[in-house]
Amino acid sequence: MVDIARRAGARMAVKSKSMATEEIDLNEALEREGITPVETDLGEYIIQLAHERPSHIIAPAIHKTKGQVAELFSRELKRPVEADPEELTRIARAELRQKFLQADIGITGANFAVADTGTVVLVTNEGNGRMVTSLPRVHVAVMGAEKVVPSMTDLMVFLAILAKSATGQKLSVYTTLVRGPRRAGELEGPEEFHLVLLDSGRIAQLGGPLREALSCLRCGACLNVCPVYRQIGGHAYGHTYPGPIGILLTAMLEGTGSVKELAHASSLCGACADACPVRIDIPKMLIELRREVDDQKIAPWIERVTFKLLAQVLVRPALYRLAARVGRVLQRPFARGGTISRLPLFLDDWTRTRDLPPVASRTFQERWAAEREAAP
Amino acid sequence: MTTRAEFFARIRGELRKKPALFAASTAARPEHPAAQADAIRRELAERWPETLEAFRLEFERVAGVFHRVASLDDVAPTIDRIARERGARELVSWHAASVAGDGLSRALTARGLGVQEMPAGEAADGAERARLRAITARADLGLTGVDLAVAETGTLVLVSGAGRPRSTSLLPPCHIALFDRAALVESLPQVGVFLEAWHGDGAPPADGAVVNFITGPSRTADIELTLTRGVHGPKEVHAIFVDGGLRG
Repeated sequence: MVDIARRAGARMAVKSKSMATEEIDLNEALEREGITPVETDLGEYIIQLAHERPSHIIAPAIHKTKGQVAELFSRELKRPVEADPEELTRIARAELRQKFLQADIGITGANFAVADTGTVVLVTNEGNGRMVTSLPRVHVAVMGAEKVVPSMTDLMVFLAILAKSATGQKLSVYTTLVRGPRRAGELEGPEEFHLVLLDSGRIAQLGGPLREALSCLRCGACLNVCPVYRQIGGHAYGHTYPGPIGILLTAMLEGTGSVKELAHASSLCGACADACPVRIDIPKMLIELRREVDDQKIAPWIERVTFKLLAQVLVRPALYRLAARVGRVLQRPFARGGTISRLPLFLDDWTRTRDLPPVASRTFQERWAAEREAAP
Repeated sequence: MTTRAEFFARIRGELRKKPALFAASTAARPEHPAAQADAIRRELAERWPETLEAFRLEFERVAGVFHRVASLDDVAPTIDRIARERGARELVSWHAASVAGDGLSRALTARGLGVQEMPAGEAADGAERARLRAITARADLGLTGVDLAVAETGTLVLVSGAGRPRSTSLLPPCHIALFDRAALVESLPQVGVFLEAWHGDGAPPADGAVVNFITGPSRTADIELTLTRGVHGPKEVHAIFVDGGLRG
């Protein structure tokens, strides 16, 4: 990418929203070469001014208030700016319009590619995708290798699915089908068109346990319904792709070791699988990841030993009953106000961020036995 | 960077590991897309009024402004009214051959609008290209034709090409698109058939580098999920339907 930009003699690159270029830290690489990358999706523009990373796949600046956005804009423009979304959008339009007209190179992601016709497809609501692919001299699209669909017939199906799941529209405002550089007879359009296919772990999953995650359209529906995402927000995941699908994608792109904690950042409630328009069974794969984290001895040994012991206890009713009775005695010094929030020794680490419900004064098994006794 | 051969070899290698997993079937493609596209046109000729009404509903739902006029003679007054209401004076237009023939630009100029028609082909040199771009970037109104108008979604499909630059429907804050019953289709699957047919064909409009689907004005909800129009593309999109047809 840097080579292409350098050969084009580029000093500024305009970008439309692309998670794939976030994944490869492209902006940093361009900056090191003295090429200024300018994000043009309004949300991405905002977080670029704030020197942050997207917190949501579809609405990257969803964590910012209009007051914070106004502050960022007035710092950039060195004049006071009113905290009104309409006004802020107008300012961004004027600022970015100049950049579109000046930039030497346009960088985009790709929502789909059509194998039959050699077409790259971009979907946006703002129109920045059209600007970036029309005005600069060179257009480079960066696409995950899994985004190819066989034909235009398939594309029509996916366009409708993506719009509905991402934003509840029948179709996004702009769908741009790029079939190559400017053709003979055309007044405008880029002279060069490059397509960069990104593997980074994707192809290895074609036959792997995470293969279903390759069907992801990046619509963000699973983020919106996830109780964990809604509590902690996108940045807490600490990787390019947040949310339930983000855990799977992170494992795919960076290896299972990178999700040893994240694999557990799910209640397995299944809301994501219900919301997913392409029926990716996210909870099933999260369980698979947890097993892998254990099998590959990625989890700390103390955790693995504890869970092994626990498993032995859970499958033996007599042992389980005994453990409940022992636990009831042992927990006495630690149970306060109906929770155990601190345990000694190696368990201290575990309780530092978690509360544990104490063993009940009468366990379910004891109550069940008593009920049976009393019944006629 | 890997070579094309290595790239495909890796994919094939992975696929061989679990062959049973990849029995997925794809959507059935039309065998003779050009013939099927013609069949769709013939069928729609019978029921175009319903298709037009469905298009109007969806187009207005995505905040497009719909106009319907009896004949080509009524188009210039309609555009003039749109311009006047917005205090707009400067209009850029696709080349006449891709909109509605020569008469329209003359009629608009006669009404006092500044009209810049795009050339039928490439610009003579870089300076001329820059000049036309600057005019387009300054213009208040952009006038184009339409290749397909999709009733299911209220979408206008525009193919770029000679005399039909993409910036005409993109840079001005108000986009006006002119169409007649020949452009109407009912659904996205029908659009798929036309795209396949165009690909096989290679004659205009099939020869352009870019196909744009436009579904209403540019919008964003990136600041506090508040819907705002006209962030990069046009703030307004007008569609003018000509009952009598664009070719007189």
